[in-house]
Amino acid sequence: MNARLRRRLGNASTYLVLLLVMAFFLLPIFWFIETAFKPRVLTFAIPPVWFFQPVIENFVAVFKQVPVLAYLRNSVVIATGATALAVCLGVPAGYGLARHPGRSSNALALGLLIVRMVPPVAMLLPFYLLMRNFHLIGTYWAVILLDAVLNVSFAAWFMRGYYQGIPPSMEEAAYCDGATGLGAFIRVALPLGFPGTVTIGLLSFIASWNDFLMAMLLTARTTRTLPLGILETYHTYEITWNLMAPISLVAVIPVLILGFALQRYYVAGLTLGAVRE
Amino acid sequence: MKKTNLTVEEQASRRGRRGRPLRFIRSLGALAWVAPALVFVLVFAFYPVLYSFFISFFKYRLTDPSHQRTFVGLGNYIQAFTDPTFVVAVRNTLVFVVGAVGVETLLGLGIAVLLNRELPGMALVRTLLLAPLTLTPLVVALVWGALYNADFGPLSFYLKQIGIPIGRGPVGEPSTALASLILVDVWQWTPLIALILFTGLRSQPTELHEAAAIDGASPWQRFRFVSVPLLQPTILVALVIRTMDAFKLFDSVFAITGGGPGRATEVVNYYIFKVGLTFFDMGYGAAMSTLLFLVIVGFSAAYFRVLNRVWTNV
Amino acid sequence: MRHLRHFVPVLVLLAVLGTAAAQGQSQYAGATLNVSVESDQYSAAMQALAPDFTKETGIKLNVSILGYSEIYQRAIADFVGHTDQADLYTTDIVWSCEFAQNHYTEDLTSLIKRDAAELKTDDILPVMWTLGSCDNEQIAFPLVGYAGVLAYNKAAFDAAGLQPPTTVKQLVSDAAAFTKNGKYGIVMNGARGSPSAQDYMFYMLMTGGSLLDANGKPQLNSAANVAALKLYASLFQYAPPGAVSYSWGDRVTSFGNGNAMMMMDFSAGLDYLKPGKFPVSGKAAITTPPVTEGMKPVYPFGGWGIAINADSRQKGAAWDYIKWLSRPDIRKRFVELGGQPIRTSTLTDPAMVKAYPYFPVLLKAFQNGNGDFRPRIPEYPQIENAVGLAVNLVINNQETAQAALDAAQTSVEPLFK
Repeated sequence: MNARLRRRLGNASTYLVLLLVMAFFLLPIFWFIETAFKPRVLTFAIPPVWFFQPVIENFVAVFKQVPVLAYLRNSVVIATGATALAVCLGVPAGYGLARHPGRSSNALALGLLIVRMVPPVAMLLPFYLLMRNFHLIGTYWAVILLDAVLNVSFAAWFMRGYYQGIPPSMEEAAYCDGATGLGAFIRVALPLGFPGTVTIGLLSFIASWNDFLMAMLLTARTTRTLPLGILETYHTYEITWNLMAPISLVAVIPVLILGFALQRYYVAGLTLGAVRE
Repeated sequence: MKKTNLTVEEQASRRGRRGRPLRFIRSLGALAWVAPALVFVLVFAFYPVLYSFFISFFKYRLTDPSHQRTFVGLGNYIQAFTDPTFVVAVRNTLVFVVGAVGVETLLGLGIAVLLNRELPGMALVRTLLLAPLTLTPLVVALVWGALYNADFGPLSFYLKQIGIPIGRGPVGEPSTALASLILVDVWQWTPLIALILFTGLRSQPTELHEAAAIDGASPWQRFRFVSVPLLQPTILVALVIRTMDAFKLFDSVFAITGGGPGRATEVVNYYIFKVGLTFFDMGYGAAMSTLLFLVIVGFSAAYFRVLNRVWTNV
Repeated sequence: MRHLRHFVPVLVLLAVLGTAAAQGQSQYAGATLNVSVESDQYSAAMQALAPDFTKETGIKLNVSILGYSEIYQRAIADFVGHTDQADLYTTDIVWSCEFAQNHYTEDLTSLIKRDAAELKTDDILPVMWTLGSCDNEQIAFPLVGYAGVLAYNKAAFDAAGLQPPTTVKQLVSDAAAFTKNGKYGIVMNGARGSPSAQDYMFYMLMTGGSLLDANGKPQLNSAANVAALKLYASLFQYAPPGAVSYSWGDRVTSFGNGNAMMMMDFSAGLDYLKPGKFPVSGKAAITTPPVTEGMKPVYPFGGWGIAINADSRQKGAAWDYIKWLSRPDIRKRFVELGGQPIRTSTLTDPAMVKAYPYFPVLLKAFQNGNGDFRPRIPEYPQIENAVGLAVNLVINNQETAQAALDAAQTSVEPLFK
């Protein structure tokens, strides 16, 4: 049958294109994972060596040189804190901006966004002095606050766009039922916006997790994060891939696991539309 | 109970008919929701941003033993406009932003559409696609720097094998250096665009699509006249965020090229970093930051104008 | 009998003091020092030695290892903000006058004079003091000295029947001789910025150039410097094509893989001489860099000092740590763990020379070392940046050497008004 054959061809070509796309995105990662398990002498062998006896000596070496687990803990604390703060402040802000469109709402949205438009380098040293005055240098809070400040506008923006695509019909139904603005938000809008919230939470988490510019100036020995650990393996006079690859791998895996676990939420197939009586 | 299955457009036009004063007052209602975020940002970002702006009018080197801070008015700004490095950096940054964001958006949209098809294994694909996003940008830059290496990088090796002359390498040739960095950015951030657009596609009401199909629209027509307009706010968000971040390009220049070869990959944010955090010339760094900021604001404003006009006319 | 009664408390006191001295417990026992160390081959040695210091003196050490950019920015932020984040910092040789003129770190001159005997200052090679000296102050104590050396693939040289070059002319001819059949004679750091600037400065020194004139004013475009840049650029025809964007790691890989037969380097790690790390391990050797014929030998010198934060509240304990680190027996272990020597005794000790046969080369390089070929002034970052741009433009054939250095000179002159 013509339709079925067309559908099969369509599916096959989809798979093919996706395969090419995945190859493009995954091959460099594959190289990088391989490097973590490669003996040092083979790292840049020409022609490139793809099959070899994997070793764990690189992991052993980097764990000895860098307190990886401590940095992992610090990264978790900071990223979680910054994300929680950004989401708690940003999601309601985005909702409000979406449900009250107009000139001043646009101005507010722009105002929030301004922060993200400033090159972070410009803010770093003054922020360092500010944190010094608050006696927060070297605590988790210094980095959490700065990361949250940068992520909150992204959160508000993203959720604003997300909620703009959802008609307020369901909330208006809740109003008819006698709910307050806040009630409608908590009971209706929040669940509706859950996939968006999860997405923005994940993105904020990743941004905070991977930052090194802020962490470089604002952390102390006890609050150093994984990206700084990665930089530590970057000797001034030599790039030690055999150390950098394993620690970078350790830095990536938690985030990947998080993304996989949250899959279900940000692709929840919601069907919005008409409110049934 | 009212049946409120109006389309988004109909609702929007309904609101418009209520008149401007009411709309203004209504939009103030947003303030209550935005207040916590706004206060937070004001408290913690206000001082650094303002300080930076203030210091841009002074000649002030942090590590100057004489601790001189001389007021120079617009001197730093004038210096920026006459600084050959800054001028080249601005041009390179603009080329990078347009190139990178353009490719990412188109590619991301295509991938989002593919992901939206309900086929077995899509969940796995979506997760794997996350991978480039999760890597530390610095590590991504270092990995690609190694791959690009003209003499012992795998990518260059295979390019040479299939007969493509690479000369001094993708990041060693002035003509291809910036494009190579664009590729790195595309590699890392296209999944982000794809993900955002996919979320947007997923949240679209299916009735509209079904209605269009019943009306006889082809898949392409459904895409162009239903999906894309509904995606407009999401596309806008993705574009704005990605553009702002693209203007702040730093990691790949820092880790791969250092601004070279020559000035081919000199970008503004990297130059600001050098001036502000290596020379500790706070005044000049702040002036360039302000200029970059203004450029980003200009771009964002242009986005709103253009996209709003284009899509409401469809 | 009455005398004995008086003796007892004295005996007890002596016993207590004796025990304390035997344990080596410092008067600062119980204190904790925060040490920020730059990430390089010697950092592992600092970390490994820390527990021994604590055992001997009772002073606890928190050693942080930071990348180059990071330690510089953190240090400046710490000093300017007076936040006392670390008691000790390792300092790059080029930061000497910046730190001295701003009084960021303690001037150790009087302490060194007071403890000269304990420190055996005569044993420390004279050039080492440039690691922290500025005018008459010593704001950092020598920690690791790097000698500029010429690394060469001995196996390849022996096979070709050649000796490593001692003059610039020989260097060029040797490089040309090896550039064939997919191999190259020499490899350089061409990457824009610090890599190419510092690499070029090696070649500038060996042809008699200098970035500053006798009055300390910049002369980036002097005739000697322009000639040196032309020489440097001409060597790229004997280098792998990608060398124009190489940084240190790439250069070492190229040499270490046996792709290029020579390279100029600092003796920061010399990993290619150590077994099992690179394909050329066991086939490579080092020698002092070549110089122009007729020129008195002078070799590049660099490295790191260790300094006490001027805001530190534990300067006494910090100074004890510095003294301990410089003890001859500790220095030997330091080298074994990955560090670099500062003492003549370390470099001439027979057991050490047996384990590290290249020590005589290092000794000769240090004895004729020049620590000022990279000006150790506060304006150094901008000078290096200007030179780095000029060098990169020239090796990419985008500017002539004269024009590029003229532009560099113009860009740094305003800093010296």
